[in-house]
Amino acid sequence: MTEPHPQRRVLELFLLGRLPSDEMREVSRHLLEGCSTCQRASSDLWQTRRVSEAPPSVAGALPWTRRDGYDEVFDRVLLRTSALQAEVQHGRRQALALLTELGRHPAARQRLLVSNSARFQSRMLAELLLEESHEAGFDEPARARELADLALMVADALSVADCGGQEAKDGLCARAWAQAGNACRIEGDHQGAERAFAAAIALLEGGRVGLTDRARVLDLRASLLRDQRKLADSSRLLDQVIAIYQRLGQSNLLGRTLSQKASVCGEAGDLETEMVLLRRALELLDPEEEPRVVLAARHNLITALNQSGSSREAFALLFHTRPLYLKLGDRMNLLRLRWLEGEVAQGLGRLEQAVAAFREVRHEFLGLGLGYDAALASLDLAAVLLQQGRRTDVRVLAEEMVTVFASRNIHREAMGAILFFCQAAKQEQAETDLAREVAGFLRAARHDEGLRFTPTA
Amino acid sequence: MSALEHPSFVDSSLEELLRSVQPRLKPLFARFSIPLQDTEDLLQQALLALVYQRPTVRDPEAWLVGTLRNKCLVYLRDRRRRLYEAVDAAVLELMAEPTAPDQETADRRRDLSVALEQLPDRCRSLLSLRYQGYAPPELAARLGYSQASLGKITRRCLAALTSHLIHGGAIRKKGET
Repeated sequence: MTEPHPQRRVLELFLLGRLPSDEMREVSRHLLEGCSTCQRASSDLWQTRRVSEAPPSVAGALPWTRRDGYDEVFDRVLLRTSALQAEVQHGRRQALALLTELGRHPAARQRLLVSNSARFQSRMLAELLLEESHEAGFDEPARARELADLALMVADALSVADCGGQEAKDGLCARAWAQAGNACRIEGDHQGAERAFAAAIALLEGGRVGLTDRARVLDLRASLLRDQRKLADSSRLLDQVIAIYQRLGQSNLLGRTLSQKASVCGEAGDLETEMVLLRRALELLDPEEEPRVVLAARHNLITALNQSGSSREAFALLFHTRPLYLKLGDRMNLLRLRWLEGEVAQGLGRLEQAVAAFREVRHEFLGLGLGYDAALASLDLAAVLLQQGRRTDVRVLAEEMVTVFASRNIHREAMGAILFFCQAAKQEQAETDLAREVAGFLRAARHDEGLRFTPTA
Repeated sequence: MSALEHPSFVDSSLEELLRSVQPRLKPLFARFSIPLQDTEDLLQQALLALVYQRPTVRDPEAWLVGTLRNKCLVYLRDRRRRLYEAVDAAVLELMAEPTAPDQETADRRRDLSVALEQLPDRCRSLLSLRYQGYAPPELAARLGYSQASLGKITRRCLAALTSHLIHGGAIRKKGET
């Protein structure tokens, strides 16, 4: 039976999968018969054109510098987006007012308002709540969780149209779940974090989430995996984030992510890779715009240099970085600087300077009620004292440690490791290596209470 | 500094950005053969996302090109998936039509069989059974696949069949109809 060929437009719609099912069937049937004319036509339509994406070096040198159908598309989109841009800016102002209003109420009332009042169902409010939650994560973990939960409630209540499309809605919800997961992580609730990230990842797997949102979710998930000591998995996720930021040409975010990956490598004991990544990150980061991120990267580089035996280079970099610590000037950063000075002094063999620095840091941490950091500083101090052969001083220090840290919020396995060291010190049998081993365990077990301490000697 | 107070959020000229990036976007859309109507949707979505995310985007031009390149890839993947599913549904319907005259049914089976002959062995077995009416669990059991891997293999085989239908191959049974 001879059938007429489908028209070119019909073939085009067939290839887009957009014909009604009866016509799809007819065209499939026709092609199944092996019509070479239509196969040639459809094959031609299917092929993606091999053209350069590079911008033309000379204006007018390539055909798409001439006015064509695309120009009309660009004009229409520009008109619509300009109008929307004004709306977005207005919406942001309104959302800032809503956020301030929410802040005046207790948490339970905030949830009630967000779930019951249409005024609070705004995409911009969800975005602001996510930003606020992220900021609160640095010093108010419980508040960070509340804000992320509110953002999630707002995002869930928004319609696809409110968000400007399914992709935007899925992206917003995925980020809200990821932010909630991150807040749980910071609070030490790894199970809650896992549940929240499972919801975020399910949205990513739906395939409708844009690159920037995807990168954000993966980035936060990598932090959870890092806390769980799943370092290889964390590193793999960060590689995906790095690839996305490279594709999007976002050098600042790329620098941040390289810095994060460097920390994961450092925790895995790969100091060489850590240093390479930190140097690349520092080339991309702008100290004027992101001084805290630059300082963190430099701090880690100095630590890695010192640990790998390049204490002189570490000292030089520390010398040049000191003004940045002082410029940022908050108490925790200054304490970290003093601690690092002690470590570098120890690396250079300036043991008295190291002892003075560690004593100061230990004292400050105890004053701030930061028992875990105080324990770490005590072990660093003990290691230097042992290096000097001052076993009696270490015994006294160990006796203090038992009294002080037993009353602090230090998890059982970490406390067990501290007691093991103190017992050895009291019997004047502790060595520098044991102090370092216990300190290393404490650092690794900080976010993983499941780790077990097994002394090597 | 809040996002609203970010200078680039207020000062940026969307038009300037779009005009500057246009020579890079046109060949991108052309390369992926995106129809104009869909180009408009993709561009609109990307620009709107940029407006929302502007405070955190350092290099808007690079961001826009990278985002749209990804959107084009996703578009292409979706377009292929839609086509494979549509071809599959069409063939399943063709093979299942109860009222078709005997000769026509026989012709269809022969055409399908000829097309399947051109596919790799694995796809030939899988699709032959599929179009004979075997349900996925039965198919998986007969061919020794897990349910999870059957889905992936089926998609690949449908891609091969569709590609064969579009680009032709060894079959030139009817030639110019």
